Amino acid sequence: MNRLTSKLQNLKENNKKALVAYLVAGDPDLDTTLDLMHLFVDSGVDVIEIGVPFTDPIAEGPTIQKAHDRALKNNISLKMILELVDMFRETNTETPIVLMGYLNTFISHINLVQSIGENSADSILVVDVPGELNLQTYGITNPNINTISLISPTTKEDRVESIAKNSTGFIYYVTLRGVTGSSNLNIEEIKNNIQKIQQYSDAPTMAGFGIKSVEDASTLAACSDGVVIGSSIVEMIADESKSKEFGRIGEYLREMKTAIS
Amino acid sequence: MTFSNSNFPDKEGFFGEYGGKFVPETLMYALEELETTYNKLKDKKDFIDEFYKDLSHFVGRPSPLYFAQRLTDHYKSGSIWLKREDLNHTGAHKINNTVGQILLAKYMGKKRIIAETGAGQHGVATATVAARLGLECHIYMGSEDVRRQSLNVYRIKLLGAHVHPVDSGSATLKDALNEALRDWVTNVDDTYYIIGSVTGPHPYPMIVRDFNSVVGKEVIEQSKDLFGKMPDAVVACVGGGSNAMGIFHPFIDIKETRLIGVEAGGEGVSTGEHAAPLNDGTPGVLHGARSYLMQDESGQVKDTKSVSAGLDYPGVGPEHSWLKDIGRAEYVAVSDDDALKAFHEVTELEGIMPALETAHAFAYLEPLMKELDVSANVVVNVSGRGDKDINTVAEIDGIEF
Repeated sequence: MNRLTSKLQNLKENNKKALVAYLVAGDPDLDTTLDLMHLFVDSGVDVIEIGVPFTDPIAEGPTIQKAHDRALKNNISLKMILELVDMFRETNTETPIVLMGYLNTFISHINLVQSIGENSADSILVVDVPGELNLQTYGITNPNINTISLISPTTKEDRVESIAKNSTGFIYYVTLRGVTGSSNLNIEEIKNNIQKIQQYSDAPTMAGFGIKSVEDASTLAACSDGVVIGSSIVEMIADESKSKEFGRIGEYLREMKTAIS
Repeated sequence: MTFSNSNFPDKEGFFGEYGGKFVPETLMYALEELETTYNKLKDKKDFIDEFYKDLSHFVGRPSPLYFAQRLTDHYKSGSIWLKREDLNHTGAHKINNTVGQILLAKYMGKKRIIAETGAGQHGVATATVAARLGLECHIYMGSEDVRRQSLNVYRIKLLGAHVHPVDSGSATLKDALNEALRDWVTNVDDTYYIIGSVTGPHPYPMIVRDFNSVVGKEVIEQSKDLFGKMPDAVVACVGGGSNAMGIFHPFIDIKETRLIGVEAGGEGVSTGEHAAPLNDGTPGVLHGARSYLMQDESGQVKDTKSVSAGLDYPGVGPEHSWLKDIGRAEYVAVSDDDALKAFHEVTELEGIMPALETAHAFAYLEPLMKELDVSANVVVNVSGRGDKDINTVAEIDGIEF
């Protein structure tokens, strides 16, 4: 079974919520990204989401956008990211890895995407392909990889159904109207919408976009299968990119983990 | 009068294998809302009448098809006709589209208008129609373009709009577009995004084309009146490609007319320092559509180079990519140097100062008039006037004010 699917199933069976943490590969450099991935796991992270840098990341707010720019200064490519995952897998074969990026970078490396093996990345989230479309249309076919689609507060109900049924990894519920890292969560709306999604699919639903405080994480975990934390981690990585003292990130993730438990 | 009888795009927004709707989920609702509204209004008489009324009374249409006697004499062959979009209110073809889209915004009850701009012409055209309806207006502009096009920045501000310089990426048009999309994602409930070219996700390439098609429709009628047949060639510059698509589209089924799009060759196509994706790019996905794109082997979008801010864009409208592949339109490129030479030449010969974008179309007359028959009628789309470029040209010529 796919590593992501089995991990999320396992958490659900034990009545636990998933902590998904995001970083951009190669920000500030690939060695540091590898260290951070291990730090994530040591601090209680269940799933690692790796941002694949793109020059024009239209769904991202300023924090993650700058991280993409910094990674691109290091000429980070999908090939290097898959090598990074291989290195990670030398010591960790447990933690599922999701690659999150934009269509153009994946279709430019379609052979690489098709050759991802069992012991590599586990899932792909293509931010700019609407969830009811099949990624296979674009050549993203690989039995080792499942897919994740986004559903937002503005997604109409007929589309919610087809997207939910099309998502094989998990369903990523966008908790706000905006880009990554914005604020103003509408908790009631989120609860209702996640309930609707769950009518259509047994796939786990993760809540993400705009979750910063432990209070938000705790509230949202209560009505979903887990939370995705992105911008606040990326900001801390940027703050400490020179000193590389990332203790604060470990602390923050442990607090998050406790809050959603 | 209707906007378009074209079978393209298909209902998913594709022109052949180009176009589509490659956007984050957060934008899907807004695009669907726009598409539904447009499809409902585009055949409604009231809407069409209001659009054409604004085009005649506010924009000043139809624009003349003007015989360029001295330019014709200069090339000693054929007849050169100028479609005078430079005479439109605000000085470029951009106003045709903004007049149409602000009507859509009005019908949709949106209170806040946003737009991206490169050369600033679309920013001016958007700020103008927003002022006319008393709507709040925000213009995103790459900080490099804010520097190059300071006159238009001030014009936009005079019109009561806010200018937001964008520093990310290459700080030009593509980054301004990214930022406008982000604003739209965040403020989708009350905001209408007036995209400025035939680019972006479906339905924009279709909507912008339809509103701009008034240009080509007029040329067809004017050609009949002035020289009794269809032109042998229509020449237009292509950045995103809205002026070219506006004049090309009604000609697609008129096979005797060659359609020639001129891209920005920058330092020369062979140097790689240019903005000519149809000449030297490969298909890719940017800003919600699949089209020819300037990209590296990793799928990252390349920085572009052109003396003209309005053409300095790594992508191109998907319908142009399709017209290229099916062979209905030809796409060539001319260098910065040749465009600047044409800028001076046309200004001196005709008393018409073209925008630097438009100067690219004029520059292609040099090779074209040699290859055409002496009886050929050639229409150049004078997409905009050059007042906004005086500082740029002066700087290149080493003149300080």
